[in-house]
Amino acid sequence: MNSEAARVSTTGRTAKARKTLLGYVPMESPFYAFHPATRLILFIFLGVIPLFIFIPEVNIFLLLINLALLRWGKVDVQRLKIYMPIIFTVAIFMFTVVILAPGRDPSYTPLEVLGITVFYQPVFFTFAAYWRLIAMLFGTILYFSTNRERELLVGLRALRLPFVASYVVGLSIRAAGMFMEDFRIIREAEQARGLDTKAMRFSDQVKLYMMYLIPLFSIALRRANEISNALFARGYTLTGRTSTGQPRQDYIRSTYSYSKRDFVAIVVMVVVFVATGLAQIFFDIFAIEHSPLNILLRQALEIPS
Amino acid sequence: MENVWQLEEGEVRKPGIVHVVMLALFTGIGIVVGTFGSLAIPIGFVSAFWPGQAVQSIGSIWFGWWGGIAAGLFPLISNSLSGSAPLPVSIAYLPANLLQGMVAGWAFRRFKTDPSLPTGKEWWVFILWGALIPNAIGAAWGTTMLVAFGLITQAAQFVSFLGWFIGNTIPTIVLGGLVLKFVSPLVVRSKAFCKGYWA
Repeated sequence: MNSEAARVSTTGRTAKARKTLLGYVPMESPFYAFHPATRLILFIFLGVIPLFIFIPEVNIFLLLINLALLRWGKVDVQRLKIYMPIIFTVAIFMFTVVILAPGRDPSYTPLEVLGITVFYQPVFFTFAAYWRLIAMLFGTILYFSTNRERELLVGLRALRLPFVASYVVGLSIRAAGMFMEDFRIIREAEQARGLDTKAMRFSDQVKLYMMYLIPLFSIALRRANEISNALFARGYTLTGRTSTGQPRQDYIRSTYSYSKRDFVAIVVMVVVFVATGLAQIFFDIFAIEHSPLNILLRQALEIPS
Repeated sequence: MENVWQLEEGEVRKPGIVHVVMLALFTGIGIVVGTFGSLAIPIGFVSAFWPGQAVQSIGSIWFGWWGGIAAGLFPLISNSLSGSAPLPVSIAYLPANLLQGMVAGWAFRRFKTDPSLPTGKEWWVFILWGALIPNAIGAAWGTTMLVAFGLITQAAQFVSFLGWFIGNTIPTIVLGGLVLKFVSPLVVRSKAFCKGYWA
């Protein structure tokens, strides 16, 4: 368990929440009882397992598990509203495309829906694909909602990713946060000088958005020099070893330790993952033909399987 | 006209920690730009406005393979943050993302093109090799992966290809062109700039 269960800041205020990559989560979130490597494995598990599953009901169940985990982890679900446009537009896109371009398989069954001819097989396929996609997406959202850059770094190092690779991943995510901050400063500086973006035309807003990148790149160049000089001054090398050739002590990783619940969770996830993969690859257990909804609709519409 | 790719007499360039840091920072920029782009005007798996590809091309022009690696890496994270593609699909996009970045880097070095785009010739090299060709490759590979993952049908591939190609190409030309024009003079004088592919 992480040793930094509660922190007192230099101002004397006790920290009650952690800033994750997608928001804030209370310090006492049950997720923090697990090692970052376990959380990273959960991310891989929930993000990849829908690939083996073509039955929409199972993927909907996985989505519900993701939502339950988000609630259990005390994530502010309101913050996930930013994903609503993408969730809807993905559905609109997928179904529009399959209606306009269903393919020309003679075995497809035409159906008249609101005066439009649609084909049952590609539409149900799209329905199943949509829930696979959403289940995978929420696996990712869960991870980024409950973990910080530091925990991603520890997770990667615990899984023995080379120093330089884990450093790049960690710094790039931290850099994204820094650029967001720079972006905010640039915008505020413009507003302080009287720029009213609300009064601008859409095309001008797009142009303005593009012009933001010029100062951001300039800041990046300066920052690259500063960080590389700082790393050089501290004796860092690309190999992650010290000047004597010894491996560098990994301080951040040493502040976390595994517990029994980590081993149990990892074993359960690995077993379920392998079993699901093998069941689909060798026995087609999660094929779309086994979907109860598909079977029910085919019976109701008298479509041969 | 100055040839920015030409090594000076006795000049030796080696990859260093500044390149690794630039790779990380550039990936950070890509994450922000890619995430905003994906959330801006999403039309399903693709965005009608994805300036991330501009960052990919620019990265490889300025920083060679370091920019190419950033081009492959940042969509993995920005797609996850924006919710536009799950991790396995983003991993499958990796070869196309590397190519989307590296094609421009290769062309600018091959044709000794000035990244500040001073004349029409340089602009055409950028439009062709930095926007049209990489996006055609990316859109073709990306939609093929969507079919392979069973997320769209084969019949829907062409429509998806068009949405992807147009949504990436227009912001790449506008944004990429502007950034190259105004920031390149600064970059070519920095330590991180790569005359070759690695340094």
